[in-house]
Amino acid sequence: MTLTAPDHRATELAAAFVELRTALGRVLVGQDDAATGLTLALLAEQHAYLEGPPGCGKSELAAALAALSGARTHTLVFHRDIRETDLLGDVLLSRHRHRGHERLRRELIPGPLLQAEIALLEDLPRSPGEALGPLLRILAERHALGQPLPLESAVATGPLEQVEAPIDPLEPGQLDRFAVQLRLTGLLTGGLFDEAAVLLERGAAQEPSRAAVRSTAGSAHPPAVMSTATRKAAQRAAAALQVEPRTLDAYHRLLDRLRQRTADESASGDRLMSDRSFSSAALRLVRAHAFLRGAPAAAPRDLGAIRYMVAHRLPEEVQEDFDHILEELLGDPPNVTMAETGAQMPGAQSQGDDSDGAAAASPASDSWIDDQADLPAPPTLFGKPPPPAQVDPLLRALVGRIERGRIDPDTDPGGQPRGYRPLRDLDELIDADLIEALLFADGRLPGAPRTFERKRKSAGGAVAVLRDISASMAGRLTVWSSQVVLGILRVAARRRMRVGYVEFHHRALPHHVGGRLLHRSYSRLAEQAGQAKAVGQTNYEAPLRTALEGLRGGSGRNRHVVLLTDGLPIIGDTTVRRERQLARRLGVALHTVFLGNGDCPPVLDDISLETGGLRFYGRPLAGGGLRLEER
Amino acid sequence: MSDLTPLRDLLDHHVVGHDEVKTALLLALVTREHIYVEGPPGTAKTRLAEVAAKGSELDFFFYQLHRDTRLAELVGDIVLERRKVKTDGGAPGTAGEAERIHQRIEPGGLLTAEVAVLDDISRAPGEALNVLLRILNERRFGAEPIPLMAAIATGNPMDDEYYNEPLDPANLDRFALQLRVSGLIQSGVDEAKTLIDRFASGSVVEQPDPEPVTDRATLDALNKRMYEVEVGAAVRAALLDVLRTLVLEFECNETNSLLTDRTFLVKAIKILRGAALLAGRKAVDLPDLAALSWMTTFRVPPEAHEALPRIVGRVSRQIQAV
Repeated sequence: MTLTAPDHRATELAAAFVELRTALGRVLVGQDDAATGLTLALLAEQHAYLEGPPGCGKSELAAALAALSGARTHTLVFHRDIRETDLLGDVLLSRHRHRGHERLRRELIPGPLLQAEIALLEDLPRSPGEALGPLLRILAERHALGQPLPLESAVATGPLEQVEAPIDPLEPGQLDRFAVQLRLTGLLTGGLFDEAAVLLERGAAQEPSRAAVRSTAGSAHPPAVMSTATRKAAQRAAAALQVEPRTLDAYHRLLDRLRQRTADESASGDRLMSDRSFSSAALRLVRAHAFLRGAPAAAPRDLGAIRYMVAHRLPEEVQEDFDHILEELLGDPPNVTMAETGAQMPGAQSQGDDSDGAAAASPASDSWIDDQADLPAPPTLFGKPPPPAQVDPLLRALVGRIERGRIDPDTDPGGQPRGYRPLRDLDELIDADLIEALLFADGRLPGAPRTFERKRKSAGGAVAVLRDISASMAGRLTVWSSQVVLGILRVAARRRMRVGYVEFHHRALPHHVGGRLLHRSYSRLAEQAGQAKAVGQTNYEAPLRTALEGLRGGSGRNRHVVLLTDGLPIIGDTTVRRERQLARRLGVALHTVFLGNGDCPPVLDDISLETGGLRFYGRPLAGGGLRLEER
Repeated sequence: MSDLTPLRDLLDHHVVGHDEVKTALLLALVTREHIYVEGPPGTAKTRLAEVAAKGSELDFFFYQLHRDTRLAELVGDIVLERRKVKTDGGAPGTAGEAERIHQRIEPGGLLTAEVAVLDDISRAPGEALNVLLRILNERRFGAEPIPLMAAIATGNPMDDEYYNEPLDPANLDRFALQLRVSGLIQSGVDEAKTLIDRFASGSVVEQPDPEPVTDRATLDALNKRMYEVEVGAAVRAALLDVLRTLVLEFECNETNSLLTDRTFLVKAIKILRGAALLAGRKAVDLPDLAALSWMTTFRVPPEAHEALPRIVGRVSRQIQAV
């Protein structure tokens, strides 16, 4: 009986997973973190999300995990046409005659995905909404069609968000279903040339026989290193491991530190520390980590497992620092840290820096986006802030325009289903409702079956803000235009639109992040917008050209440019004829906001009217403030 | 001189010029890699693909992609299977009868072809190509391996005047070989004259069906021999130096390039072996690195692609000097 010799048995079970980890490390050169993360995910029965540039071995690693673990596996490649039946199983249409009437019932027979112990979900972000929703629910509940699932881990793969792809990125809330989140780097682009050399050598030595097998039968997968009984026993044993009290104490302190660092404004990236993930899932991973190293209970050092959870939950800077934060924490005697935490309690005098203050003010994870107080304060003049600009009317109109742009009125074969419409020709039977198509084939449907109506949802969209910083914008106008920019950034952040920020006078001064005009580093731009200085003369052509060039690459349709200015253009093509044409061709809406005194230059009206953009102007208020109203 | 000389002669007979595309096509057949050729309409892209396929007596699947292309058109027919199932009906007094409905694909098209020509691939919605290109990459559909040797895709330049979406970078990476062609007449090369002369003299028939000059067995044998081609340490070091130069000097990264490990660390070795084999050698030589130019066309920024022959030259000299 295993009960009489638990230690011996546990060592044996741990050894099987250590072997799995080692074998997984051999599959891909230089991706050790991913190998460990996946091993922990399976041991802790958590789901994992792997992302990385194309061709870095995501799918290969996931498939190897499945093969090595000996688990019953089902692979599902997501694409825009994936249907409920691919996900759940075949349809059972039953007809019961009962006392003279007939009852039709539609049921689902559990398909291979629902019987899988490991589910490989390739290209998950390509899934249309109607498949993604049920899938994520199934993953969270581990229950479908009224029965519990044998599912241990789902491993999903997806592209890196930075890569221009005609797909919506998954939202942090959706990614939260995957406790383990791993980001793979390419060896070449990551500069790991030594590892690259190993891979080249491997390829050069490849036996022709093995290569031939690979080319006809796909990847050759390694044999299983453990039995299903071993795997399940290890999972049970790992879940039952004790967590030492000092580990829990350290965990609380770790969460405190992560919260503080996450609240820091200058950090960019996702922030989502949900209760779901940071309670049960995190502790399962910590236990699995301890189990894997053969420990009898989870010690503080096992908190290292949290590192594999953070890719979409913490800002990038905090992720990079994670090991350091943990190390520092484990090095600190607990009482010192407690004192430190005490100093930051509300009411206590804190002379710390601004980020600590912000952390105390708003501990919630993602409220930073909506809370204006979190954004850097606009620059002040003569030590006293001017009356604020009322930018809400502009933001409301802009939001309306953005929302309208999110669903393209044209039906699009590449789009996501949005309801049904009547069948137009027989080709569309493929997309028709299955049951209705069958009844139609039987001649029992009075009309034609309905088919999915697909409309394209734009891929997040993008907005570029062009801000006049010519000399005439000095003083209040600088402050007001900063407020407008910050407002737009908030709108964009809430919708995960990519943003671009170009300041201009006689030249365009784009603010690139990572070499790109459009990105999602909202807070970095917010900081930038607070520092604008007014110099030079006005030129519309250069900034419009810069913004349109930046927007040109993307295929999304929800693309906006907001031009913020106080005066007539003096330099460059003052009619911006070519830019207006280009914007029309690209389908970019050019919104104009005139903040100056006197009449709005007619060219601004032309720009907006031709491209379907909004027109706003700043109306001075009695108290010295400004209200943005439609022109 | 290699076993594919007759096929090369056939290509030369049917199409004037385009040396690089012809060599790259043969390379694709030998290495079993996919190839993407981009160029304006009327530059013999499709014709070359067709001659190569028919000349090697391979099962050939031609498909013109369009804006509404669906997966089923490429992989066969969608079949709905209906099976009667007995049920107990649940409640007493009910006679139960049920139908189980299963949707599957009857393999056809791409799944049964040895060479597939995917015309105007850039016209299909980028997202719809995902599954197609995954099939190309894995060479299996579900669990079933497919007989496909090479897919030859063509596309129009991704300028504004052609109404197509740019290919998704991940999708473009499935084509190991990538070339850009331009029309002979438009670019005014000498071959333009040959082209016109040949049509004027009647020495080419406009659309004859090419006779097979080679077969699958020959290609299989070549593919097997390819893996025996030696890739020495010097060549590997040179390849790595070229890649290092692209990353460090030309700043190729994840946002501006597709410098993927799959392509440049795994497939590049195959391409180099294939190039050596086509040149009739048993070991890869430094000049074979020139074939890397057919891999970088759409994967790195234009200035880096144009500099590639120079980089290869420099790296080769350094390696030789050691």
